[in-house]
Amino acid sequence: MVNVTIDDKKVEVPAGTTVLNAARKAGVEIPTLCDHPQLTPYGGCRLCLVEVEGARTLQPSCTMPVSDNMVVHTDTPKTREARKFVLSMIFSERNHFCPYCQVSGGDCELQNAAYAEDMTHWPLQPNWQPYPVDASHPFIIIENNRCILCRRCVRACGELVGNFTLGIEERGSNSKLIADLGTPLGESSCIGCGTCVQVCPTGAMIDRWSAYQGRETEVETTKTTCVGCSVGCGLDVLTRDNRLVRIEGDWDVEANKGLLCEVGRFDPMEEDRERILTPMVRKDGALKAATWDDAYEAIASKLGEKKSIAGFISTRLPIESMYFFKQLFKDGLKAKTTTIVNGNSKSTMNLAAEAFLAATYDDVKNADCVVVVDEDITKEHQVISFFVKRNLPNGSKLITVTNGEDGLDTFAHVTIKNDDLCEGIKSIENQAKAVEILKASDSIVIIFGGHAAECSDCSKVLIDLAKKYHAKLFNTYDGANGKAAAIFGLVEKVDLKNADAAYIALGDEKVSQTFMKSLENIPFMVVQSSFNSSLTAKADVVLPAFTWLEQDGHYMNLDGKLTSAKAALNAPEDVAGNTAILKNIADKLGVKVTEDWQAAIQ
Amino acid sequence: MKYYRSMVLISNDPQSMVQGAQEIFDCIKAEVKKHNLEDEISIAMASDISRMDISPVVIVYPEAVVYGPVKVEDVPFLVEEHLYKGRIATRLQAPKKALSGPIAWLSTREGSLPAEQRIVLERAGIIDPESIDDYIIHEGYRALGKVLSEMKPADVIATIKESGLRGRGGAGFPTGTKWGFVAGAKGDKKYVVCNADESEPGTFKDRLILEGDPHSIIEALIIASYAVGADEGYIYVRGEYELAQSRLKAAIQQAKEYGILGKNIFGSNHSFELHVHAGAGAYICGEETALLESIEGKRGEPRPRPPYPTTEGLWGKPTLINNVETLANIPAIIRHGAKWFRSFGTPSSPGTKVYTILGNVNKTGLVEVPMGITLREVISIYAKGMKNGISFKLAQTGGSSGSIIPASLQDTPMDYDSYSKAGVSLGSGALLICNEEICVVDLAKVLMKFFKFESCGKCNPCRIGNIRALQTLDRISEGLGTEADIETLQMISKNLYEMSNCGLGQTSGAPLRDIINHFRAEVDAHIKLKVCPAGICAMSGQSNLYNN
Repeated sequence: MVNVTIDDKKVEVPAGTTVLNAARKAGVEIPTLCDHPQLTPYGGCRLCLVEVEGARTLQPSCTMPVSDNMVVHTDTPKTREARKFVLSMIFSERNHFCPYCQVSGGDCELQNAAYAEDMTHWPLQPNWQPYPVDASHPFIIIENNRCILCRRCVRACGELVGNFTLGIEERGSNSKLIADLGTPLGESSCIGCGTCVQVCPTGAMIDRWSAYQGRETEVETTKTTCVGCSVGCGLDVLTRDNRLVRIEGDWDVEANKGLLCEVGRFDPMEEDRERILTPMVRKDGALKAATWDDAYEAIASKLGEKKSIAGFISTRLPIESMYFFKQLFKDGLKAKTTTIVNGNSKSTMNLAAEAFLAATYDDVKNADCVVVVDEDITKEHQVISFFVKRNLPNGSKLITVTNGEDGLDTFAHVTIKNDDLCEGIKSIENQAKAVEILKASDSIVIIFGGHAAECSDCSKVLIDLAKKYHAKLFNTYDGANGKAAAIFGLVEKVDLKNADAAYIALGDEKVSQTFMKSLENIPFMVVQSSFNSSLTAKADVVLPAFTWLEQDGHYMNLDGKLTSAKAALNAPEDVAGNTAILKNIADKLGVKVTEDWQAAIQ
Repeated sequence: MKYYRSMVLISNDPQSMVQGAQEIFDCIKAEVKKHNLEDEISIAMASDISRMDISPVVIVYPEAVVYGPVKVEDVPFLVEEHLYKGRIATRLQAPKKALSGPIAWLSTREGSLPAEQRIVLERAGIIDPESIDDYIIHEGYRALGKVLSEMKPADVIATIKESGLRGRGGAGFPTGTKWGFVAGAKGDKKYVVCNADESEPGTFKDRLILEGDPHSIIEALIIASYAVGADEGYIYVRGEYELAQSRLKAAIQQAKEYGILGKNIFGSNHSFELHVHAGAGAYICGEETALLESIEGKRGEPRPRPPYPTTEGLWGKPTLINNVETLANIPAIIRHGAKWFRSFGTPSSPGTKVYTILGNVNKTGLVEVPMGITLREVISIYAKGMKNGISFKLAQTGGSSGSIIPASLQDTPMDYDSYSKAGVSLGSGALLICNEEICVVDLAKVLMKFFKFESCGKCNPCRIGNIRALQTLDRISEGLGTEADIETLQMISKNLYEMSNCGLGQTSGAPLRDIINHFRAEVDAHIKLKVCPAGICAMSGQSNLYNN
């Protein structure tokens, strides 16, 4: 610990802390532009310059580590002049005429910094070269005219996401933000995660959907959990007048630390399915609008007499819904139940044995060797692939084992292809290079999914491999609550041939053609869904349910930790919560259900 | 090794190459073959110095006869007379008056020219740079042998500290102290790096050292690696220096074959690997931390300091970075001792300095002279006075790390301390001598154009400040300047120094400050009278403002 004096305030901080962080601890505000808490300090904007006693020139507080008995002054004529100079320079570099910009009026860190320095104009004649706007990407727009070249996006793209798409072209005053080697963003290697947009201090990187929809002060922010996959990323959902404006990653959530993928950040913005606004019951061969009572009555009268019920539940529904579903169908009506994604949620791995070897998110983030088995994490669970990819330039090793293509193959140090996955995993030990890597690594994580998680032989081989090299296992369950579904035993084999009724708690999940086809001959089908689809068209009873943005509840992430979801939007009138619907049906059927899901999940 | 009766050296500096040095080389080879003298005569190209007036030059040893300028058609006569018949071909001999460089050194014995003092260039132009044997004959690798067999790493550092050698890259940081920092830094892996990205406009000293005597740098790097405990090194060579790169690569290969590079050098416990890394044309990569980023394969942008490279350098390991000229001093210091080295130069800046002289003088080129001689001496003795007798106005000491020296400072001794006391800096050793016919606004414009182009673009003051300064100067040079422009230039210059991240940014505003401090009247004439006293600036009344 070292003692530092910042503006006459004494503060004790660990050695190696930057002056900026020490100042924050001391409650001293230092303006910054290129600095971002999640990124490596860069020292480019020079707005945070402070006077350090004994130093020849002004020092950037964001990169300067403290030393013992350092005396720092942040608010002197010299630092104020420096800040004004930096801001004058930036404003004169490109077209920073605020009225045109969507972040003007509170969301722009450059504008805010200028207001904080009481700037009314800039003394230098501006003289810039206009740049074309890059609007080639479906979600992201690059507006170079508003760019201040702080490199936050470039650093985020490389350091956090590991994609290295964004970069700077040329040097000096010709510097310009580009994607890849100057290709339009839409044709570049960009994966649309949008982290760059989230860190941009100005309006240089905009997201198409939220532009001009409202500033920070005009929107409501709800902290919730993404249900796009099982990673359980923390979200800040920005809404205005019960309308979705933007989704941002929550920097404080352990699982994703602010990162999101395209599925989490942009896909919900494109939701255009037709909403179901009232319960519907099939009468005389046609679905007719009905009251909730009629609908419940129809279900209760029909389901009660059925002998072989098939129950399907979406993993996008919270644990609360799942628990009622389990009690109602699996325990009460003795139905066969499974999840709709029906992927590797039916993991055959012994959950108890796995817990002993289970890797946490931190293990994945800090692994010096990652083995990926039958799971293209660049497509599913993308945020996990960010953790893997961003460590590669620092020397971490990657081995992929698949029976097909894998997005990580190009980065892998060893790639193993084998149609028989078990053999593929076993053959890791036959590859001298792979063995060398495994032996030299201190913290190995094996990420697996797909067939590898379903096949008991594969699981056995994986566990042996993990034990031999002191590796940890990371199962990527399909679906947001895939792990909870597995714990509740909601992943059984369902015999649809002999089923005489099906209950599908679909929520807002999209269903595949194969799934719809498999349900064609069911005599009685109830669908609990937010949106119209060809499945609801075939149903005998349709119950309108909340979307993920409208419901509260809990999810279990891959760490085994519970995350909570909060409703960000109000549902339309006459639409009911997924959990409430299941509870009401249970009550109607006289099946006794409890709400004590916490005990059941342990 | 093989012995030869005579050795012929043909100069291959760029100018000689343009004037047909390669053809002369080929022709001499053919003629020698014709006379069946191949076994007796060795022929080599040598990078020589400061002979622009008599290039291309052919020197025949052991007589050390200098021929120049030589034409291809002269070669048969020259070979027949000198090498076959053994008579000096006086018709082709270079005129005595024009002699300079190592030729000057030879002729000083006759007392015709003041001596240069050669330490770093002692072998350049005298040996065949592509022959390790030639280097070894000329005392090469003796210092290394001494270090590895007789000295402990601490002794080496003590000797360098004692010698008072200061970094020749521009800043003049004490070399021994820097070595001590790296030796004392914690780490199992350390690197030594030679900064040969010589990009200061008008500077070409490192190039001639590398092309003329590549083994001296290799020897110095091995000594440095032994002293600081490193086992791997890089020579970062400017991309345009293709000849230097190929010579270094050849020299490294030869050294490996002789067991001088690699594992257990000379049977000691010391091992050392050396790589040559070519730059890609960015001036900023001569800044040591940007150079490290470049070696690591990243964009060449200076790092924030601290941490300094001595503790966290290449790939986060303690790294010693020295300039070529600094390293070239090391073997001589080890061989002759610190006391000998201190006998040259001034007490605070011992040793010699290599200057590249260019501009409005009678003789441009390169000289190595003891530290502490004055600019007036350099101009009158080594540059042979101002061209056409037009009087001296100012000197520009080279690129970013130097400054503008007005005539009033031409009697200040040229060493690090005297210059910094006078508020100017020595820079890399380029001396651009300007006469009264140049305009300071125009000169500053040229320099700012360079900085505008070569700023890396990382930090705001330098990226934007330089182009704003250039635009302001452009307005002044077009007769559109206002009183406020002087304040703007002063503000930019001051803030560039105070706020920039690296040496380039900090000193890029120096020309602005210098022209206002030393030549205010001339700048004022542009602004108030709308007149360019030197008649250089267009004063068109229209500013063709530069775009970003």
